[in-house]
Amino acid sequence: MARRLPVYLLIDTSGSMKGEPIESVKVGIESMLSTLRNDPYALETVNISIITYDREVKQLIPLTPIDELQMPEITTPDSGPTHMGEALEMLLTNMEKEINKGTQDKKGDWMPLLFLMTDGKPSDIMKFNDMVPKIKASKFATVVCCAAGPKAKTAELCQLTDKVYQIDTLDGTSLSKFFKWVSGIIGEGNKSMGATSELLLPPPPEEVNVVI
Amino acid sequence: MSVVSGLLDKYGIKASLAQADDFEKWLIERNWNLYNEDKMNNRVVIENEIKKLGIRFANGTVKKDYNAQIEVPFDLVCDMWIEGLEQTGLDWTVEDITKCENKADSCADTLQENGINSDNEQQDNPEVICFCEDKNEKENPKGDKCILKIFGKPIKSGDFTIKLCYKHYGWIEGEPISYINIPIAFNPDPRSLWRNIPTPEKSLFYKPDAECEYIKVEESETTGPRKDVVAASQRGRSHAQDGKARDDHFRLHHCGESDWYILAVADGAGSAKYSRQGSRIACDTVVEYCINKLKDSTELEDAIRAYRTADDEETSRKLMANVIYSIVGNAAFSAHKTIKDQAKQTANDIPGVTVKDFATTLMFSICKKFDFGWFVASYWVGDGAMCIFNKEKGTIKLLGIPDEGEFSGQTRFLTMPEVFNDGKAIMDRLRFSIEEDFTALFLMTDGISDPMFETENNLNNFNKWAEFWDKLKNGFPDDEISGVDLKDDNEESKDQLLKWMDFWSPGNHDDRTLVILY
Repeated sequence: MARRLPVYLLIDTSGSMKGEPIESVKVGIESMLSTLRNDPYALETVNISIITYDREVKQLIPLTPIDELQMPEITTPDSGPTHMGEALEMLLTNMEKEINKGTQDKKGDWMPLLFLMTDGKPSDIMKFNDMVPKIKASKFATVVCCAAGPKAKTAELCQLTDKVYQIDTLDGTSLSKFFKWVSGIIGEGNKSMGATSELLLPPPPEEVNVVI
Repeated sequence: MSVVSGLLDKYGIKASLAQADDFEKWLIERNWNLYNEDKMNNRVVIENEIKKLGIRFANGTVKKDYNAQIEVPFDLVCDMWIEGLEQTGLDWTVEDITKCENKADSCADTLQENGINSDNEQQDNPEVICFCEDKNEKENPKGDKCILKIFGKPIKSGDFTIKLCYKHYGWIEGEPISYINIPIAFNPDPRSLWRNIPTPEKSLFYKPDAECEYIKVEESETTGPRKDVVAASQRGRSHAQDGKARDDHFRLHHCGESDWYILAVADGAGSAKYSRQGSRIACDTVVEYCINKLKDSTELEDAIRAYRTADDEETSRKLMANVIYSIVGNAAFSAHKTIKDQAKQTANDIPGVTVKDFATTLMFSICKKFDFGWFVASYWVGDGAMCIFNKEKGTIKLLGIPDEGEFSGQTRFLTMPEVFNDGKAIMDRLRFSIEEDFTALFLMTDGISDPMFETENNLNNFNKWAEFWDKLKNGFPDDEISGVDLKDDNEESKDQLLKWMDFWSPGNHDDRTLVILY
């Protein structure tokens, strides 16, 4: 089996995402998949897992090769909290199970990529704070956080990574540009090797603002 | 008299003709609506059930056999078919549906046409679709499913939507046909997606996208057949896709007089901007350095002979190690320094450039045949593999330990300062060996060793090397890639080797370089 490039998508599905936002996210992910399927290297290596979080945290898709992956239904409750901390906890548990570390018998996977998206902030702040050091200690090739929409807060996300980006509106156009950019990062991730420990990101599209 | 006034009359109801007509209208209209509502409810319930099934078709790949099937219980549908499949080049069929249901009007004909003998008892009731559970109970136990299959070879890649149409259970002619849209995706054949964009020749530190070389060391009366060297280096598909340069490099040399072979292979880090130059400098420097040092190889050869005959193995081994250290270790260190100098020089023109931008691995070996056998000394930093393979004896000797991290793609580079921290760090990477004879000495980058061996354990497994040797000689017939004819003095083998390097291995599209002394 080829070495895999694991990509984890953590998607906020709290009540405020209901309607156009979540539909746009779905369309965004779908077009991202379609782009990646046409990149020969990604087609053979990229594996995607999608975890959604609202008051419940669900792994919608376990780590799956993109040629087999099918877009799942993503549902949102009418209201309720945003359990981002719990989502990160699930992420770490899943990674432990799903990612092959290199041993003498087995080739390891490439270092995983993490994309986290929210339109709010973590409600389970205690758990979130517990998770921050653990995420930082995990070996990700890159962690990209996206705060989308007017109510998204960036302060917490900045604890996770220095790659925090903001999109002002949660509409189809800006989200599709965001996911296009993400596809680019994943495509690049395939080629990153060794010398630099961190992945260099391509410049974000205009709609995406860098949070410093 | 109308039917209705007759009926009213029968029940002793006196009604005028106008009343009877009005009553008829009222009766029919109201009940027709009720009836339709009822039918519609039934349909909607089933439609929701079907949606809940979450029917999906697995993804396929262009021009590869595709087979998928869905199953829907017969208590939900009595017929299904697919629309919109033409665009994909696939076909569909419904399995055994005739066993379980009879559409008395249309099916009876079809069945007969198909030569299926249906002892249909309900042919005189043409509007009714019946579920012949009674009749077929034995063949189709309750809860049996309607199975629909999609098969064939997709003609083009992309995301498609196909329509799964069905007649719900209890459907009557005249009722609408229900359907659901189902997405179906066909992946392109990954091999068809690769492009081969030449590296712009004007780019800084340009090198050709592919190279191969053969060193023919001819036999003479005194020597008998002598080993030759064949080498090839091919840019990886991942680089060809973006028109990026080959980062691998090799350099070969045979010292005509002293008969020393010097072989070097380096793999520039994929993420380092000028690693193609780093790998070139690494190979060139060590080879030049060794050529110079071996001009007078008396000290080394004396040490080798002394080691061979020594009583005190320990002392002579140390002596030997010191001599190798001074040649091979210093060659590596001089490559490290030369790359640093290059980085400094480049930084004058391009600010911000550091030695990291030239990161490269390096393995090289000096070997010579003596009357008692072969002497091989080597240095290795990074991944890939360097190995002495002896087919007859069934042995292999790995000339070092590949530097591999926990995750793929992590390795050590010649350009890292810790590699030359102290004498021990250098000494640990040196190897020497005396062999009576061997089948081949291999030096390869991870572009070859990863797909061929996958793991470090396999690198230590003779059988895997024997398999590798067979693959080299036989090629990959399934992919129409022929083998390399490794017989003495076969100069053509360099082109054969280069072509052989186009083998397919999913996810392994790094630059590939292989040097064989055989």
